[in-house]
Amino acid sequence: MTGSAPRTLVGFGVAGLMLLPVLWMISTSVKPPVDYVSTSISLLPSRITLEHYQALIEDDLVGKLLNSVVVAFGSTFLALAAGFPAAYALVRLRLPAGFDNVFLMFVLVIKLAPPLVLAIPLYQVLRTLGLLDSLAGLILVYQVYSLPFAIWMLIGFVRDVPMSYEEAARIDGASLIQRLVTVVLPIMMPGLVATGVFLMILSWNEFAYALLFVQTPSKFTLPTYIATLITEDETFWGRLTAIGFLASLPILALVGVVQKGLTRGFAGGLK
Amino acid sequence: MSTSRTASVLLLAPALVLFAVLTVYPLGRGLLLSFFATDYGLDGATFVGFANYTDLLDDRFFQRAIWNTVVFTLLATASEVALGLVLALLVLRRFPGRWLVIPGIVAPFVLSTMVVTAIWSAWFHFDFGFLNNLLRAVGVAPVAWLFDPDIALLSLVLVDLWQTAPLTFLILLAGMQSIPKEVYEAARVDGAPPVRIFFTITLPLLMPHILLAALLRSIESFKIFDKVYALTGGGPGHATETLSMYVYRLGFRFFDVGLASAAAMMMIVIAGLLAAIYAISIMRRDSDVG
Amino acid sequence: MKTLACLMLAGSVLAGAVAAKAETLVIAGRDGSFGDALSLAVERYKAANPGLEVERLELTGGGLLEKVTIAMREKSGAYDVIMLDDPWAVEFMSNGWLADLDTLGGGIAEDFVEPTRNVSRYPVGSGPHYAVPFVGNVELFAYRKDLFDKHGLAKPASWTDVLAAARTINQAEADVSGVVFRGKKANPIVTGFLPILWAHGARIVGEDGTAQFDSPASVEALKLFLDLKAYAPQGVETYNSTEVRDALMQGTTAMTIELWPSWAPSLDDPAKSKVPGKIEIMAAPGQVQGPAPMLGSWLLAVPADSKNAERARDFIDFVTSEDMQKTLALEIGLPPTRASVYADADVVAKYRWYPAQFEALQNAQPRPRTPQWSRIETILGDYLQLAMIGEMSPEEAVSEAHERIARALKR
Repeated sequence: MTGSAPRTLVGFGVAGLMLLPVLWMISTSVKPPVDYVSTSISLLPSRITLEHYQALIEDDLVGKLLNSVVVAFGSTFLALAAGFPAAYALVRLRLPAGFDNVFLMFVLVIKLAPPLVLAIPLYQVLRTLGLLDSLAGLILVYQVYSLPFAIWMLIGFVRDVPMSYEEAARIDGASLIQRLVTVVLPIMMPGLVATGVFLMILSWNEFAYALLFVQTPSKFTLPTYIATLITEDETFWGRLTAIGFLASLPILALVGVVQKGLTRGFAGGLK
Repeated sequence: MSTSRTASVLLLAPALVLFAVLTVYPLGRGLLLSFFATDYGLDGATFVGFANYTDLLDDRFFQRAIWNTVVFTLLATASEVALGLVLALLVLRRFPGRWLVIPGIVAPFVLSTMVVTAIWSAWFHFDFGFLNNLLRAVGVAPVAWLFDPDIALLSLVLVDLWQTAPLTFLILLAGMQSIPKEVYEAARVDGAPPVRIFFTITLPLLMPHILLAALLRSIESFKIFDKVYALTGGGPGHATETLSMYVYRLGFRFFDVGLASAAAMMMIVIAGLLAAIYAISIMRRDSDVG
Repeated sequence: MKTLACLMLAGSVLAGAVAAKAETLVIAGRDGSFGDALSLAVERYKAANPGLEVERLELTGGGLLEKVTIAMREKSGAYDVIMLDDPWAVEFMSNGWLADLDTLGGGIAEDFVEPTRNVSRYPVGSGPHYAVPFVGNVELFAYRKDLFDKHGLAKPASWTDVLAAARTINQAEADVSGVVFRGKKANPIVTGFLPILWAHGARIVGEDGTAQFDSPASVEALKLFLDLKAYAPQGVETYNSTEVRDALMQGTTAMTIELWPSWAPSLDDPAKSKVPGKIEIMAAPGQVQGPAPMLGSWLLAVPADSKNAERARDFIDFVTSEDMQKTLALEIGLPPTRASVYADADVVAKYRWYPAQFEALQNAQPRPRTPQWSRIETILGDYLQLAMIGEMSPEEAVSEAHERIARALKR
C-alpha cells in the first residue's frame, strides 16, 4: 500500500496523545514530591523514588486490593451463573407470549435507570438481609448493573451455538441440564470469558454503590480508597498515580487476554 | 412442551429473583416513597401527594441539574462519536505498527473512572497542573479548568471524551470493517473522491453502528456521577451539578428521602423520554429502509 | 472455569483471614492538620497499648459528614470513634446516634472551656455529655498591622471600617488585595459570611425554631459582604482555607474575615510566612452589635452502635488529656480545648496570640442549635453564591433562601 509511512506517523502520534495522561501517571508515581509543585512540562522525574508505593503498602493497599478482587470475582460469578441460564431460556425455550420481549425491555429500562435512583430503597433491602457494610452486600447490589449486562451480551453468544449439536444430544436422550452443561457451555466458553472480563472490569471500577454501602475502611474497594486520596487541602498525587497504575494493571492484562472479544461483545446486543 | 415451560421458568428463576429483589422492589418502593415526606422509610411518613414533584419542578437547582445533565449528555455523546469516527477512519487501513496503535488508543477506556479522575484532577490543577503548564509554555494564559463556571462542565466533557472515545472507536471500527470491500471498489472505479465516498457510502452504511454508539454513550453520560463527585462536587456554584449528584445530595446528605425519591422517579422519566426519541429515530430509519 | 472457582475460593479465604485479626478501633475523622494531630495521638496510644489495631478514615469535612451520618443512621457499627464539627452535634445527639459519655466512663472534666462543653451536651448546655471537645477552634479576624499603620488606619471597630480599610489598601497597594475570605459554596462561604451577619443583629433560626432570615438586617449584611468582594482577589468564589491561608502568609492580603487558630500555627515562622510578626489577630468586629466570636469546635464521640465502646472512650480520654493536648498544640499547632493548656507557659511562649484566642473561646457563640443545620448551611451557601456571582439581587437571595430554610425546618 502506498503512503503508509505518513499513516504510521499519524497513527503513533494519535496513540501517543491518547496515552499521554497514562504516561504522565506512570512517571508521576515515581517522582519525588518536590516535582509536583513545578511548572515544568517534563514527564521525566528529577529522580526516581518508590516512596509512594511504600506509603501505599503501609496504608493497607493489599487489603483493599483483595477486597476489590473478591468483589470482582464474586459479582462476576453470580452474574454469569444467573445470566447464562436466563439468556439461554430467552433464546431457545418457548416462553409465554411476548415474555421475552417484555423481559428485554425491562433489562433496557434498568440499564437506563441511574444507579443512584435505586440506592435509597436498596439500603432497605441490604439492611433487611443484614448485608450492609459488607463485601457480600456489594457483590449482591452490583447485580443491578452486572446481570442485565450479562444477559444482554450472552444472548448474542447463545444465538451463535448451532442448533444441530443440541439436537444430536437430545436424540441421544440427554436432559436439558445435561445438554446445557456438556454441549452449550463448552461451545460458549469464549463468549462467557469475554462477558466475564467485561463484568470484572465493571465491578473493579464501580464507585457509587461502594461509596454508599461500605463504611469500614478495611472493607473499602480500590475506587473508594482512591477517592479518599483526593482531598480538599492537599492531593497526594504520588500515591494517587501509584495506585492508579497498580489498579490498572490487572485490567490491562485481562483486556490483553481477550482483545478479540472486545468488539464482538459490544456488537452482541446490536442485532 | 410443558416440560419446556417448567424448564424455562427454572432457568429464568435466579435472574428473576435477583431482578425482583434488586430492581422491581426498589423501583416500586421508590415510587411509593416519592408521595411521602419522610427522612427514612414509610414508618412515620406523611402522605403529601404530588407535593414533592411540584416542589422539585419549582426548584431552580433541580432545573439547573436537568439542564446540566442534558447539556453534558449531548456534548459528551456528540464529541465521543465524532472522535471515535475520526480515530476509526485513521486506523481502518493497514499500516506498519497498527497492531500497537489500536491498543494505545483503547487503553484509556479500561482505566477505572476513579483513576481517570485522579489523573485529571492533577492535570486541571491551576498552579501546577500539566495542562496549565503546557499553556504557559506556549505563552497562553492558564485556564481555571474546574473553577470557572463557564468552563467546568466542558472540562468534565473533556475527561469523559478521553476515557470513552475508545469505546465508540471500537464500535465504529467494527462497523467499518463489516462494510463489504466491493462497495468501495465500485465507487473508486467511478472515480469518486474519498470525501464523497465517505459521505455517500461509509456514513450511511455505518449509521446503525453510529446510533448504537450514541445510544450506549448517552445512557452512560446521562447517569454521570463519579466524575462529578470526585472532580467538582457539583460546583462551582451549581455549574456541574448533574441529576445523579442532585439525588445523592438530597438522599444521602439531607436524608430527604421523599423528595429524593421523587427526583429519582423524574430522572427515570427523563431517561425514558431520551430513549423513546432514540427508539423512534431507529424505527423511522427501519421503515425508510424496509 | 476451574481456575475462576479456585481464585474465588482463595479470595474468600484470604478475606476471612484479614477479617479475623486482633482488637480493632475504627476512627473516622478529618484530613489535614486535624488528621495529623490524630495520627500523632494514635501512634502514642498504640505504643501504650500494644496489640491494638487502629483503622483510620480521613476525609474532608463534607465527606466525613456524609459517611458518618449514613453509618450511624443505619447503625452499621462501622465506627468506634468519630470526629464531628460542633454544628452537627445537635442532629447527631437528638437522633440518639451518640453514646452517653456520662454513663460510659463518667462525664468530662470541668477543665474544658465552657462553650465547647456546652455544645457537647444535649439538651444543649444542660443534658448529659455525648462528646469531648478536641479542637478549640474559634473564628477570629486577622489584619496586617504594618499596612494599617502605613495608611493611617486604626484597628477596625466595625464592618464599615473593614470595608473602608479594604478600599483604601486595595487602591493604594499594587500586589495586596483589601480582604480575603472563603467563597467556596456550602460550608466555606457560609462560615465566611456569618460574622458579618451576626454583627448586623440578624439571625437565621429564632428561639422558637422557625426561620427568621428574611430581615432588613440580613440584606444589609449581605450587601456589605458583596461590597467587600470588590476588594477581594479574583476567583475568591472558589477560595477555601488553603487559599485564604496562602494569601495571608504570602502577604497578598490586608485582612481575612475569618481566621481559625488551627490554620495559622506558623504565623510568625519566617520559613513559612513572608510577613512574620506583622499579622494581628482579633475577634471579628461588630456592627449594630458588639463582637461575638463564633465557635467552631471539633469534638470526639463514640457512636451508639460502636462495637468497641469502652476502648473508644479510653482512647478519647487519652487524646483529650492535658498532656496530649499540650503535645498536639506544640507539635501540630492544634488549638487546645482545655483551660489549663492555655495557661501553660511553654504553649503561650510559642504562640503569642493564645491569650486573645482563649478569651475569644471563652466568649464564643455557637451556630444555631438545630438538627437541620447541615441543610440550612447548604441552602445559605447556594444563595450566597448566587448573589455573589450576580445571578440574584441581595433582596431576592435573602427572601428565597428564607423560604427554603423555612421549608427545611418544617420537614
